[in-house]
Amino acid sequence: MNAFLRTMFVIARRDFLSIVATPTFLLFLLAPLFMLAMGLVGGAGAAGLADANRATGRIVVLTAEDNVAILRDTDVQLRSATGRFAAPMLEVRSVAEAPDAAAIRAVFAESGSDTLAVMAGPLGNPAIWERERGALPGRYLALLAQQALTARDLGANAPRSIATFAQLGTSGPSNALRQTLGFGAVFVLFFLTLLLAGQTVSSLAEEKSNKVIEILAAAAPLEAVFIGKLIGFLGVALLFISFWVGLAAVAALVAAGTMAGPAAANANAAAALLAAAPATGWGFFIGIGFAYFVLAFLLLGAIFLGVGSQAATVREIQMLSLPITIFQVGMFGLASAASSTPGSPLARFAEAFPFSSPFAMAARAATDPDRTIHFAALGWQALWLTIVVWLAARLFRSGVLSGRNWSLWRRARR
Amino acid sequence: MPQDIVVEADSLIKIYGDHVAVNGVSLAVAQGSIYGVLGPNGAGKTTTLRMLLGIIDPDGGTRRLFGNPRPASVRARIGYLPEERGLYPGMKTTEAIAFMGALRGLDWAEGRRRGAAMMEELGLARVIDSKIRKLSKGMAQMVQLIGAIVHQPELIVLDEPFSGLDPVNQERLEALVHRERARGATVLFSTHVMAHAERLCDRLAIIARSERRFEGTVDDARALLPMQVRYTPRAGADPAAVAAMLPADAQPVHDQWRFAIAADAVEPLLVRLTGSGLGVAGLAIARPALHDAFVHIVRQCEPDYVGETDDPAAAEEAA
Repeated sequence: MNAFLRTMFVIARRDFLSIVATPTFLLFLLAPLFMLAMGLVGGAGAAGLADANRATGRIVVLTAEDNVAILRDTDVQLRSATGRFAAPMLEVRSVAEAPDAAAIRAVFAESGSDTLAVMAGPLGNPAIWERERGALPGRYLALLAQQALTARDLGANAPRSIATFAQLGTSGPSNALRQTLGFGAVFVLFFLTLLLAGQTVSSLAEEKSNKVIEILAAAAPLEAVFIGKLIGFLGVALLFISFWVGLAAVAALVAAGTMAGPAAANANAAAALLAAAPATGWGFFIGIGFAYFVLAFLLLGAIFLGVGSQAATVREIQMLSLPITIFQVGMFGLASAASSTPGSPLARFAEAFPFSSPFAMAARAATDPDRTIHFAALGWQALWLTIVVWLAARLFRSGVLSGRNWSLWRRARR
Repeated sequence: MPQDIVVEADSLIKIYGDHVAVNGVSLAVAQGSIYGVLGPNGAGKTTTLRMLLGIIDPDGGTRRLFGNPRPASVRARIGYLPEERGLYPGMKTTEAIAFMGALRGLDWAEGRRRGAAMMEELGLARVIDSKIRKLSKGMAQMVQLIGAIVHQPELIVLDEPFSGLDPVNQERLEALVHRERARGATVLFSTHVMAHAERLCDRLAIIARSERRFEGTVDDARALLPMQVRYTPRAGADPAAVAAMLPADAQPVHDQWRFAIAADAVEPLLVRLTGSGLGVAGLAIARPALHDAFVHIVRQCEPDYVGETDDPAAAEEAA
């Protein structure tokens, strides 16, 4: 084997084992569980808060005694029509005479539930006060007045429209579903690179603090050390992914075996819907997604490793971590925006920009059936990977051996 | 270039900013020899070695290892112990040795096997399966040394190998250096402890203030200084007659006369003493130690140099 490759794999093996064969790796492996648990707790809290807000809101009608019954009946009918987009709870109060502004303010100021809108006056010409201009509660009250007026004046003579509902078949996949899938791909790749590629930043601190770097520099080309480290970390990342994919597969099999009745039917329907989801097909989508992950990892990992090699202390590494994380989040934002507007100039830019390209192209694989473009994208990213590794390795070389001039810089000055 | 020159440096220069770390250093190390690079701290020894090994590039001059101007292409034939010792604390000793061997192309399993054997040989059997973080500094240093030579290199470069070792391990290291030379390896090492250099080196270079000030054998270095003579004439000898027979710089100290003479003046002195009739009640002729020669050479460029050593024997010798 070529000496360069041999050294590269020696370094990769050392780094891989030094991470994997430690008790702390188990914690790292289970990190998504902690994140999931925190997410669930946070989500449950937020959902509870949202429900509480929704439950406490109300709309109020101040009207003559004659209108109370017809308004309540109409509200019931409207709610059955609006389904899950129903307005807040309605409260109809009988009043002897039209309320003035002070009475309306008093209703808004009542404790207990928030009053979102108040309607008063004759049904043919009601006055509506809104807490939020143009929001649903006020519009609903206007509709309620119109429908109640029609029912009161025409009764059974009012013309009726009876609709028939049917569920659209799943002959074609939903564009929204594909975009959601595209965003999901961006999110998964971002999450994995955030979790895994960022680790490379601190990897060289060990060699520097242990003074091993001079042994490595004397024994091997630093480029081989650099790439070996990247491969070692990629190995850790792949082990991490394999673990979770395996776990998910087992969980899915167990769940499929224990499902019965309506749950199984729903799961089958969902599976059928998902089966047609990625425009390029699941097999290609997963395969190309994996390839994009590897390239995203190597691209970002090379940058982080190169930048991290400039740090001499843990404090410096912490200082460097912030811009690196911001950069990662920036790439995520760009690719996310691209995934929500497929085919737009922004999406094309995100697909071409080397550091967002793996994410944006993974999203494109969900919405665009063209497969050949992905091979071109892989080639483009590989080219950038070569450039970045070349530059980062030189940065690494200049950073790890103190006092050594960066040869490119030195040449440029001559 | 002759085939038996393994390391050749010609006018090496290294500049860091405004500081000239190495200025025109040249040396040649013959195959199978033990060569010492001596000098005070900060003289440029480590920088010179790093340039020779290709860890850093020189700003001027040329270097050749095994006749090759690109040190990187002969890495596998070299073993290197840097001045700043470094090992991964979480690794086991044999694994660390095998890792260093693997970097130079040695099979991992063979590296482990050889590492364990060499550790036993060097009295480290009880820590064969220990992690590096459990070792004392001296033990870790010996492990690193084994790692540097486990692949049986043709050239061994050791930067200050004796610093931090206790006398027992220093002796073991000296024996190891001799054994490696017997195997056919060429050994190049730097030190500022003269006692080791005196015992080990076939040839040596002394670097001070970034420049090479001397190159030759230990005897050549010693010959730079005159022999130190202490002569005691027979009791009652006329001091004026004694002074007339001795060199002009001879100084009386109690009943003794002290002076220095060149090595080739010893025999004529003995003839004069025995033929003078002044008698010889006592006579001591001492060759200067390498330490004296070193201090003499360094003081020529650093007049305020007071000497330094971390070796008690050398310190005593110097005193």
